[in-house]
Amino acid sequence: MTDDSGVLSIDFIVGFTIFLIAFIWVVSLIPGLLINLQGFTIDYDAVAYRTGVILVEDPGWPQAPVSPWESKIDNDSVVRFGLAISSDTPNILSQEKVNRFFCTTATTAFPLPFIYRVDYKEKAIFGDYPYRFNISLRDVERNANQSIGDVLPEGYGYIRRLVKIKGGSNATIDGYNFKNTDNNVTSHTFSILINTPNLYTNMTDLFYQIDPARDQIMINITNLSKMNNNITLTGITVVGNSPASSLQYTLTGNTLSLDNQIKDNTNPLDKFPQHVNDTISIKFLPSYFRGDVYNGVLDEQYYQPIYINLSFKLGSNSTFLNNSWSYPFDYNYDPANVTQPQLRDAVVEVAVW
Amino acid sequence: MVSGDGGQLYTIEGFAAALIMIITAYLVVNATSVYTAGDTHINDMQLEALGTDALKMMDTPVSSDVPSPLAEIITYTPVGNMNATFKTMFMNYTNVSGAGPIHDIQFNATYICRKDPENSITIYPLASSRNLTGGEHTVRATKWVIVDKAVCEDSEKPRAVLVEVLLWRD
Repeated sequence: MTDDSGVLSIDFIVGFTIFLIAFIWVVSLIPGLLINLQGFTIDYDAVAYRTGVILVEDPGWPQAPVSPWESKIDNDSVVRFGLAISSDTPNILSQEKVNRFFCTTATTAFPLPFIYRVDYKEKAIFGDYPYRFNISLRDVERNANQSIGDVLPEGYGYIRRLVKIKGGSNATIDGYNFKNTDNNVTSHTFSILINTPNLYTNMTDLFYQIDPARDQIMINITNLSKMNNNITLTGITVVGNSPASSLQYTLTGNTLSLDNQIKDNTNPLDKFPQHVNDTISIKFLPSYFRGDVYNGVLDEQYYQPIYINLSFKLGSNSTFLNNSWSYPFDYNYDPANVTQPQLRDAVVEVAVW
Repeated sequence: MVSGDGGQLYTIEGFAAALIMIITAYLVVNATSVYTAGDTHINDMQLEALGTDALKMMDTPVSSDVPSPLAEIITYTPVGNMNATFKTMFMNYTNVSGAGPIHDIQFNATYICRKDPENSITIYPLASSRNLTGGEHTVRATKWVIVDKAVCEDSEKPRAVLVEVLLWRD
């Protein structure tokens, strides 16, 4: 052929086809490369970090003093989880908030436990993506682990935060040291003063503050049998801003234990009067002071001192635990009276995938 | 061979072009992972948060009647000396076992104080798990600590020093 212009040769078709196949193959690689660069792990790490900050540095919402999220009976009214004791104390966690956050076991009493994943996603993880996650807290000192969520997969976004948990305070009162001198009576009263305004002003550092509205308080009275062998505890009244009321122990989560036996106010046999051999232990949850004793008080500056009065009736006249003619036992910052709140090391880990 | 075939493509050119593209794609795919600025930021952030938390925990006394462990370490360590307690405590905090990945963290800690009349700063070593060679990708965690020590000045009085820890992963 002499004039071959405009004619495709077989060589050209073969070469162009090879080029085209290679070109299409390389182009098809590009989306894969971009997916790797975008990487979901980046997103997961960021979500884990955000969740870690919310849990460790924020007290949640609603927050104290009125009705913090950890005391809400209605789980739907909890807007946001947060374990810090206040927004001014990042990394210092409240034991009460930790207990409530990690409690998933069903109980007959309110408040009901939160439900994984729905509640935790709405109130701690946030976002529209259906994340799976695991949030754990390791109490280093007690060597105890608590966790919420699924079993960890191979790859996940992760953050670890070091924290301290604020423990409650407690007082052990040797009853024999507080007996009166009058041995001609059978009725005795012992008063304990929790002077909340003084507790707030004498220790402004929230880390170590004894705060009946935020932390658990425990009072143990021992050695009663040394003074009399027929003791009846006729009642316990607690006075704060609200009028004096009888202690409703187990109904509000508090515990009254006599000689190591826990009393349940819902049981008619466990109501006052109660026989006591040697010891009385009373555990007050912060929700009790906040909800009952300081009921309706919207500002902490209006909190009044709390008086806890224990009334006893003896089988025979004798000296006994009685400070009605002197001063009430002061639950204060004196280490001789009260074991002060302590901070324990813990680790919060958040994994998201 | 036909005449007037200038500018035509042949099989060999097609092969050559395809080969070049495939080799290029192979090199790109097999190159070291390309990290965007966002990626490295996440890793750095995790380490920085951990280091900052560790310093904060070391400077928080367990109760109101005991001093801060970090302030005590700085106060009672002779100037210029390394402190083994800081090393143990910091390593315990940063490598404490949990449910997460293994933590292979190294650190180098110093503290910095300001000399008042000269308005200059002096850096003192505090503890180190390994010497810095310069090739490490480090992040910085800092904490202001109040100590009662004659450092940077002759008189012993409360002053603020800046504890600075460089952290990196092996």
